[in-house]
Amino acid sequence: MTVSTGERHSRLLGPLWIAAVILRVVTLAYAIVAFAVHRGGYANQALGAAVLVVMVVWTGVIGYAYVRGPRWRATAAYVDLALTNVLVLLSLFVLSRDQLDVPTPSVTTVWASGAVVAVAVQGGPWRGVLAGTLTALVSYLIRGYVDTDIARDTVMLVGVGFVLGNAASTARASDERLRRALRTEAATAERERLARMVHDSVLQVLARVRRRGADLGGEAAELARLAGEQEIALRALVTTAPPESSVDGETDLGRELRLLNTSRVAVSVPATPVVLPSADTSELVAVVREALANVERHAGPTARAWVLLEDLGDEVVLSVRDDGPGIPPGRLGAAAAEGRMGVSHSMRRRVELLGGSLALETAEGEGTEWEMRVPRRQPAGKERSR
Amino acid sequence: MTDPPISVMVVDDHPIWRGGVARDLTERGFDVLATASDADAAARIARTVRPAVVLMDLNLGSSSGVDATREITTALPETRVLVLSASGEHSDVLEAVKAGASGYLVKSASVEELVAAVRQTAAGDAVFTAGLAGLVLGEYRRMAASGDSGQEAPQLTERETEVLRLVAKGLTARQIARRLVISHRTVENHVQSTLRKLQLHNRVELTRYAIEHGLDRDPD
Repeated sequence: MTVSTGERHSRLLGPLWIAAVILRVVTLAYAIVAFAVHRGGYANQALGAAVLVVMVVWTGVIGYAYVRGPRWRATAAYVDLALTNVLVLLSLFVLSRDQLDVPTPSVTTVWASGAVVAVAVQGGPWRGVLAGTLTALVSYLIRGYVDTDIARDTVMLVGVGFVLGNAASTARASDERLRRALRTEAATAERERLARMVHDSVLQVLARVRRRGADLGGEAAELARLAGEQEIALRALVTTAPPESSVDGETDLGRELRLLNTSRVAVSVPATPVVLPSADTSELVAVVREALANVERHAGPTARAWVLLEDLGDEVVLSVRDDGPGIPPGRLGAAAAEGRMGVSHSMRRRVELLGGSLALETAEGEGTEWEMRVPRRQPAGKERSR
Repeated sequence: MTDPPISVMVVDDHPIWRGGVARDLTERGFDVLATASDADAAARIARTVRPAVVLMDLNLGSSSGVDATREITTALPETRVLVLSASGEHSDVLEAVKAGASGYLVKSASVEELVAAVRQTAAGDAVFTAGLAGLVLGEYRRMAASGDSGQEAPQLTERETEVLRLVAKGLTARQIARRLVISHRTVENHVQSTLRKLQLHNRVELTRYAIEHGLDRDPD
């Protein structure tokens, strides 16, 4: 599904266009009655009749284009505005001088407002205002003076352009949001279906292979280990909900961290989402990845690691601990030489850029533990809701 | 722990897994009394066979292991429920523990870990993974932050928070005891107490809800 042509499926904009076409037909009927009433005083009855015929035909053509769909609407609305104003202008030659002064309605009369409505619905409030102004100017042009009637018409035309333009913009935005929600819903449903399927079959078998293989030992144990790796990866994949729409630029840090679960890394997070600005979330995940890579490099590939995420309201606390040999006291200098501290510097810099702090705790035989505390920042322009 | 074998019931909706776990436990001297594949059957059979430990999967197809856990722990106070579930179903795990489960083990645990966990559960101790400790810790913080529904929300003591954090960071009870200079038993008691307070609060909340909605009255 492409988003750009999505307006074809618009649930909210369609009724606006149909209403615009109905208004056009009703005002056309009004114009026909007005023509019958006033044609006796016209200076040029034939031209008046011709204008009316064009109006009837045009209402049919344009009505069809508007109802037909978005591909036609874009150009049709502006052609409509141009032609309508030409017709308004022609009243200058249809009406007699007396009629122009009284003021008797022009041949197009309120029918002309239909084009303003169309441009507003198509182009939004500011184009609507421009179209209203243009149409008002043309009616002023054929009269050559301003009275209360013409002033009122001007206010109405500009107002209609503005109000309907806003309504259309709102409908478009709501439509887009609705479409996105429907898409997310469909994707979630599909994901749940897949997750159920995988859970019911593949995972059970993998788990069984892993456990039986571990019992048998030898080469089977190696196969069991591989099956176990895949089992954990697959579980993480199917049981982790898809990201909530990041429209507000916020992401659940807990969800991102849970994806780091492996057979050697246990990730603990609260059950409720820990929502942070997306940039902070990805930076923190990157730091945790760096710490985990560090564990593998220095504590050996068999070392286990634990990641704990705590939400304290004003700040989040992230701990990464391993059960490796740790760094004995007095060896921190040597560790620095080995480049271990270099890693720590890079992590510290990243955490400090988020306004947080990083602490390293280690002792011989006690493993190594990184603890970062990062204040909760609000994304720009969003007030804290507490 | 040699004399009477520990009686166990296995609840899981997948036959290969269910059979496998039952066999692993039987081979290691446990008395597997029954197996069940859905929540209703689990609650019904448990009432009849009264196992010491129920191994409960939470994802039982159309039915929920959380409901089964609640029913079993309410009807059979002597029976303990050990949740054995996938690592990702973390909010379900929290619900099951609040509903009365006394521990949680991931399905990716080894047979040795499973055996140890079943023994520990039968002995009345809580089986905590680091993941569960993180969830429980988060739940207490959530309740404290939201002033949960006006009801007096349970709180962790400083020591309990300390212990739970260390569990969540992967330390064993023994390591925690050494680090905090307390006895191994005291560590177990602290962990146990965090669970009990949560379960008690959950039961009070459910009762209050039932009374407010007139669910405690007999239908006429």
